[in-house]
Amino acid sequence: MAEVLRREVVYLITAIVTILMFIEFFFIGTWNVAEELRTWATIIANISIALGAVRLLAEHAKNVQRRRAGVWPFSIWLWIIFLVTLLSGLAGYVIKQDAMTNPLYNWLFTWPYTSLGQTLYAITGFYIFSAAYRAFRARNIDAALLLIAGCFVILTNAPIGGVIWSGIPVIGRWFLDYGQVPGMRCFLIVAAFGMLAYGFRALLGRERGFYGEVAGE
Amino acid sequence: MPYPTDPAGIAGLWIAWLLMLMIYSYPLYKENPAFRFAEHTYVGLMLAIMLVRTTITTTIRMVGPPLMQGKVWYVIPIILGFMMFFLLTPKYRWISRYPIAILVGAGFGLGMRGVLIPDITNQVISTITPPVTGAGAVDWWNYIYIAIGTICAVMYFVLTWEHRGGMGYATRLGRWIIMIGLGAYFGNTVLFRMAMLSGRAQFFLQVLKIAPM
Amino acid sequence: MSEELTFWEKLARIDRRVFYWILFIGLMIPFIRPIMFPISISPSTRDLYEGIIEMVEPGDVVVMNIAFGVSAWPECMPAFAACTKLLIKEGAKIIFWGAYYDVDLSYEEVLRRCEDYFKDLKYGEDYVYLGYYPYQEAAVAQLASSIRSIFETDNYGTPLDEIPMMKNVDKATDIKLVLSGDTGDVCDYYIRQWRIPYGVPVAEIGIAMLGSSYMPFYKSGVLFGMSVGVRGGAELEKLIGEPGEATIRMGAINISHILVIIAVVLANIGYFASRGRRR
Repeated sequence: MAEVLRREVVYLITAIVTILMFIEFFFIGTWNVAEELRTWATIIANISIALGAVRLLAEHAKNVQRRRAGVWPFSIWLWIIFLVTLLSGLAGYVIKQDAMTNPLYNWLFTWPYTSLGQTLYAITGFYIFSAAYRAFRARNIDAALLLIAGCFVILTNAPIGGVIWSGIPVIGRWFLDYGQVPGMRCFLIVAAFGMLAYGFRALLGRERGFYGEVAGE
Repeated sequence: MPYPTDPAGIAGLWIAWLLMLMIYSYPLYKENPAFRFAEHTYVGLMLAIMLVRTTITTTIRMVGPPLMQGKVWYVIPIILGFMMFFLLTPKYRWISRYPIAILVGAGFGLGMRGVLIPDITNQVISTITPPVTGAGAVDWWNYIYIAIGTICAVMYFVLTWEHRGGMGYATRLGRWIIMIGLGAYFGNTVLFRMAMLSGRAQFFLQVLKIAPM
Repeated sequence: MSEELTFWEKLARIDRRVFYWILFIGLMIPFIRPIMFPISISPSTRDLYEGIIEMVEPGDVVVMNIAFGVSAWPECMPAFAACTKLLIKEGAKIIFWGAYYDVDLSYEEVLRRCEDYFKDLKYGEDYVYLGYYPYQEAAVAQLASSIRSIFETDNYGTPLDEIPMMKNVDKATDIKLVLSGDTGDVCDYYIRQWRIPYGVPVAEIGIAMLGSSYMPFYKSGVLFGMSVGVRGGAELEKLIGEPGEATIRMGAINISHILVIIAVVLANIGYFASRGRRR
């Protein structure tokens, strides 16, 4: 019985929910059950976002507890900034139903968070530049095609390409509007078939990786 | 945004500028404590903001009004959501499979029904639809290129048969077509990365009032 | 016995930090001394612009989906702001909502960039901000069936039934079109759950990479238009006649892209020269 609760019932729930969502497509707007389940799924996803946060915070708490050399002072700082931001945001929400009304939360959100987010996202610009020098070699015809298409697109995206030679935007625009279409379309089609195959496997209970099962369990 | 004039804004601007330099000290110099400090600051801020905005305020907003209207069954998704936390305990991890089952089922059901038309049907129709009457040679060339290219590129991913003989030629052409697509993707990636980095370069100058804000 | 390194081999051994400094300083130059060249308009951006003008009538309700975080402002915000200005000019009523937890900041930034346009508009009658919804296909599908099941109130706690422009708006069929600004696959969700089942026109205002990923959708007519990264933003600014941040940023794009091309060309010359020497 315990095994049935841990496995078969879970697969059955997955199959029922999948089929309900699928069938609803043919009766759009009339299946309240599917709509209700989607709302539930949204609420569950919302709450489970905290799972990642809890895991990460637990890891940093362990660093502090074990006094991991070179790491634990930063983990303490992470906890401090986390608690300050969380409490100030909650204070704003409790008092005025809007976390942004708390001045400290607003300040932390507007200045350090925005700058750090943009900075970390942009750091890959450096790496793509060094990769362009160190890794992008036309070693064979495949790499040559990739580089030629890439270079024309790069010089089309930058207006200076048209100044260097009027033919660059013409060729580059062809690569963007037609040249890349078969490749990208192929990825779409293949990924769609993969999604269908994977979904059917999940529906039949043969995809178990989501539930933490390992082979032979 | 305009250059701030209030003390909190000016302090925030300069702290943002310093944090940016701390982060860029890693690629421009080497890994150092300042980089790690800024990195941990971001992670702490991000976690807190994420929790405040998503898990707490949005969940309350989504379940509060229905519960107050008497829809008591909205307690079920809350309980299911908290059941996810059993993932952290090895002994009772199986309890988290129930909310995961709902998420997986909803995701696959919506995804499977969603990809049929835009990702498969529409793409095939678009591939095989010839240009309109009166179209020029360039339009016909583009049509043939896209049609043959798509077919050969899809054949490259068909692994049921060995890529030999006629199939070998077609799949090699397919691979070249895919490389052209990836090259264009790489070109767009460069645009994306450089646009982001240029934003930071601009910010560096704006804080120093060398460039207008 | 050590062999003397060739010029190309020495070049290949330069510390990568030198390249990073060259790039970072190079990116700053256009902001001090602008380098501007004419910008041509791509077909996808033109279709987006003309599509909005043709489809939107005064009073139509339009959704502006903010599915990009503050990190992607340099790429997405200029085009998003330009589309917002265009929609206001066309007399549309705009619903703002977003799938990133920092959507509040992005919304405020849109208001700031379009300040002149918003000063004559009234919140609740001409535009409304509903806030954050989870980054999930189920949430997007649920918004299509019933907006109120995800947003009982706007971001400030006012019930949707008390907001004038939301009185008769609750499902996808009440929406004229969706403009999705995103960095990932949220536009996919709108295509699958709004465009195909309900026929709501959808356009993408995204990062440059999505210009490649969504090109098949644009070519097959599923998307009625597309703005590709900061370049799309510059094109839209030109189309609406208000050059702004994206146009200025194209100067930095010129420098950075030339540097990348130089790096690729030098690397390949060095590779072929070394290969010849090794043979």
